[in-house]
Amino acid sequence: MDFFYLLLQLISAIMVAPLFDGISRKLRARFQSRIGPSIFQTYYDIYKLLKRGRTKSKSTSYIYQIAPYLLFISAAAMLCALPITYGTSAPFLSRFSDIFVLLYFGALFRFIFIVAGIDTSNPFSGISASREGTIGFYTEEVAVICLIVVMMGAGSTNLAFISELIQKGNYGYMIPSFSIAATAFLWVMYVETGRKPYDLAEAEQELQEGVLGEFCGKDFAIIDIAILLKQITVLGFFLVIFIPWRFEHPLLSLIVFLGEVGFLYVMGVFIDNFGPRFTMNKGMKRTMLYALAISCTSLALFIMGI
Amino acid sequence: MQTIYTLFLVASILSLVLYKKPLLAQKVGFGLASILSLYAAVFFFSNLNDTLLWKLPGNFISAPLFKLEPLGIFFSFLISLIAFAVSLFSFEYAKHYEKKANLAVFASLFNAFILSMLLVVASDNVFSFMLLWEVMTLISALLILINDGKEASKNVMIYLGIAQIGAFCLMVALLIMASLAGSFEFSTFANLDISFGMSLSLFLLLLIGFGSKAGMFPFHVWLPLAYCQSPSNASALMSGVMIKVALFAFIKFSLLLPQYVQFGYILLFFGGISCIFGIIYALISNDYKASIAYSSCENVGIIFLGLGGAFYGLGTNSAMIALLGFIAALFHILNHAVFKSLLFMLSGNVYNATQTRNMDLLGGLHKKMPITSLIFFVAALSICALPPLNGFASEWVIYKTMVIGGIEKDVVSRFFFTLSIIALSITGAMAIMAFSKLYGAVFLGTARDTKSVEEAKEVSFIQLLPLGFLASLCIGIGIFMNDIVGMLSKIVFTLIPHTSASPYGFISMPLIAMVMILCAMIPFVLLYLFKANTKEARVTDPWACGFLYNKSMQIGSNAFTGDIKKALSFILRYESEVKIDGYFSKAVYTHKTHDFFWEKLYEPVIHAIMVIADKIGVFQNGRTNLYAGYILIYLCLILMFGYYFL
Repeated sequence: MDFFYLLLQLISAIMVAPLFDGISRKLRARFQSRIGPSIFQTYYDIYKLLKRGRTKSKSTSYIYQIAPYLLFISAAAMLCALPITYGTSAPFLSRFSDIFVLLYFGALFRFIFIVAGIDTSNPFSGISASREGTIGFYTEEVAVICLIVVMMGAGSTNLAFISELIQKGNYGYMIPSFSIAATAFLWVMYVETGRKPYDLAEAEQELQEGVLGEFCGKDFAIIDIAILLKQITVLGFFLVIFIPWRFEHPLLSLIVFLGEVGFLYVMGVFIDNFGPRFTMNKGMKRTMLYALAISCTSLALFIMGI
Repeated sequence: MQTIYTLFLVASILSLVLYKKPLLAQKVGFGLASILSLYAAVFFFSNLNDTLLWKLPGNFISAPLFKLEPLGIFFSFLISLIAFAVSLFSFEYAKHYEKKANLAVFASLFNAFILSMLLVVASDNVFSFMLLWEVMTLISALLILINDGKEASKNVMIYLGIAQIGAFCLMVALLIMASLAGSFEFSTFANLDISFGMSLSLFLLLLIGFGSKAGMFPFHVWLPLAYCQSPSNASALMSGVMIKVALFAFIKFSLLLPQYVQFGYILLFFGGISCIFGIIYALISNDYKASIAYSSCENVGIIFLGLGGAFYGLGTNSAMIALLGFIAALFHILNHAVFKSLLFMLSGNVYNATQTRNMDLLGGLHKKMPITSLIFFVAALSICALPPLNGFASEWVIYKTMVIGGIEKDVVSRFFFTLSIIALSITGAMAIMAFSKLYGAVFLGTARDTKSVEEAKEVSFIQLLPLGFLASLCIGIGIFMNDIVGMLSKIVFTLIPHTSASPYGFISMPLIAMVMILCAMIPFVLLYLFKANTKEARVTDPWACGFLYNKSMQIGSNAFTGDIKKALSFILRYESEVKIDGYFSKAVYTHKTHDFFWEKLYEPVIHAIMVIADKIGVFQNGRTNLYAGYILIYLCLILMFGYYFL
């Protein structure tokens, strides 16, 4: 039964994610005084991509062929690690829902992304592969610093356990370091979604979708779904730790979770639409320094036991 | 166990005897080595929880006794396991050194090297330990010299120099311990009654002594030099196993001292620094073998982080942390031995096929060497600690140790544990960049220098066999993580007796693998349901903004790390120079990255030693009567000393 709900969690996320994207595209268009596409546009896009033929660069090897599936696997496994439809009471599955499992599946996603970019030997995908790695270098430590406060405070790395602990109120916002960490963590998770101004790896105007420049047809459709899944997962990662609203019934908590994620995702437009575009080093250094400073403050408070 | 030692000795001598027929000696030497080490691996694995004793027969000084306790047996097993894979690999690989050295000597040294490592692990008194330790160093130095080259002697001197600094510290530490215990036997060293200051200084001496051999920061400078110089099978053995012998000896001796919390902090500090600097240099290096060598420094740092947790646990009497820390360290030692020796052997294959170590000349090698490339992909994933491979399993245990260590409300311990988690996570992020770059630049994309790549051929089956074996170990150890942890915890219980703690709350790796398989099925279902277009893809040139595609348009390894180099410019001395001669000639770009610590720490010392040696040289002027005078003066001094003070 646990596995059935896990599958349901995954499939419903895959089905709903394009809708969130569609809504935010519509909203963005309204901001820019355009009528904009229909909110189902992302579904149409993916369907069309599935039907299209493909071309590939002649330098590609097996990595190019398996990359879409590997990206999908790592994004989907990340989503499965979020304890939404299951909790600590599921003895077997709760051994999967671990903070480091989630983080390192994210790392696997990044690794495949970079390798696939280099494999096409397209000049632009090489550059954006490099940027993807550099962004990882900047964001990883901020995320981990925030998570240290959570993990050490809760005394476990198990996500299901932490989520329940915080929901019951045994640990949480009454601890100052925890609430400060929440701010920095939300920031970093927004960066991880790869939207403006942090879409440096996929910056469309200059780099033509960056790493994905050489992907097309069904491969590109699967990568699109994987990226949407990853965006949902990183926002959900914030939610299950810092706003855990779980209910007794798995379906109810799944619906509430999807609603929350959708809200955060669509609200991202307010940053997305008005964010300026930076060059790589300036952008990361200037904006990530704030997030780093916030997280370090929270860490310092935590070390002092506040 | 005496049979194994004797057989290795026989194999070594036999291959030396055949020096007139090098090709035969190579077959005999490496073949025997692989059979023997397979036997040894099985033997040690089946006796994993026993104690083995062997007294050297005959009348030797200090009657050497060899003793293996469970920890020693675990390391002997590790040595023989890796030695099996490496010697099977060398069976074909060593042929490439036919013109450079006598293969009989190579095979003989190889066998002797395995024997010396096994004996170091087993030796049970100061005299035989120091003797065998030095023999091991010397043999490894000779193995490096097999690959003779322009800078060979300089690199070997640096290696030996740092090894000698270490050996000196070791000798001092062991002699002090022996004099305190009143005996040279290690078994009498336990429960020494010494003060905190004495204990700390002994601990530091041991750390320098073994850390320098293990490649700990700041003694890491010899790693890239020695490993790049030596043949790949020798560097696989050195990096996979020899530095583990140093770690074994470090664990063994420092456990004999009275334990304090500060030991844990010291190890966490050096571990964290080693990780970060190791991986930074691995990331920016353009030489793939140097990059792999620097990542040894990183992994030794990770092991020290685990050990730091363990020693902290011993110092504060918290059995759980000590147990987890030791399990984590031993687990990562096992994993590092597997994937690092694998990576070095693979780099040997690449070098033999292309004759270059520069990543900027390679690329597209996957099409020429598909199996080597696939195995390299597995090894790279597991060194980046990506699930569900073995690197992830052991790093997860280390993370768990750190998190449990930081739960206590002690400011100092929280400070050290949080910083080490951060160090480990930064290392993780950079390792991904370093190895994706390495794999991408060597195997993927288009060949940058067609001349060296075009001739490349896949290596023979027998050379791929051990590589495949180690790669499947990478996967197997990862999936069966909890069984390995159970096995290691039995060994750790012999190190820290009187505990009732047991490891709990571990992730389940088979579950992770299962979820991954489940997730892998979904896209295919999706493609089937929507009847996706599955026509074969059309092959074209990569898109280049409408320009004609040129292979030099793809990203180079320097450009790949450009942003990070700029961001880290405060610790990296990085110079790039552009030379332009006139309008129509090609511009020449040169990039140089200096090893900051080599310039600041080592060069002044080396310079000072050179100056001193120059001054001392005055005494050595070649006149025999002056030398006789020195002896006379010395004798007089000794007589005076004896008369007045004794």
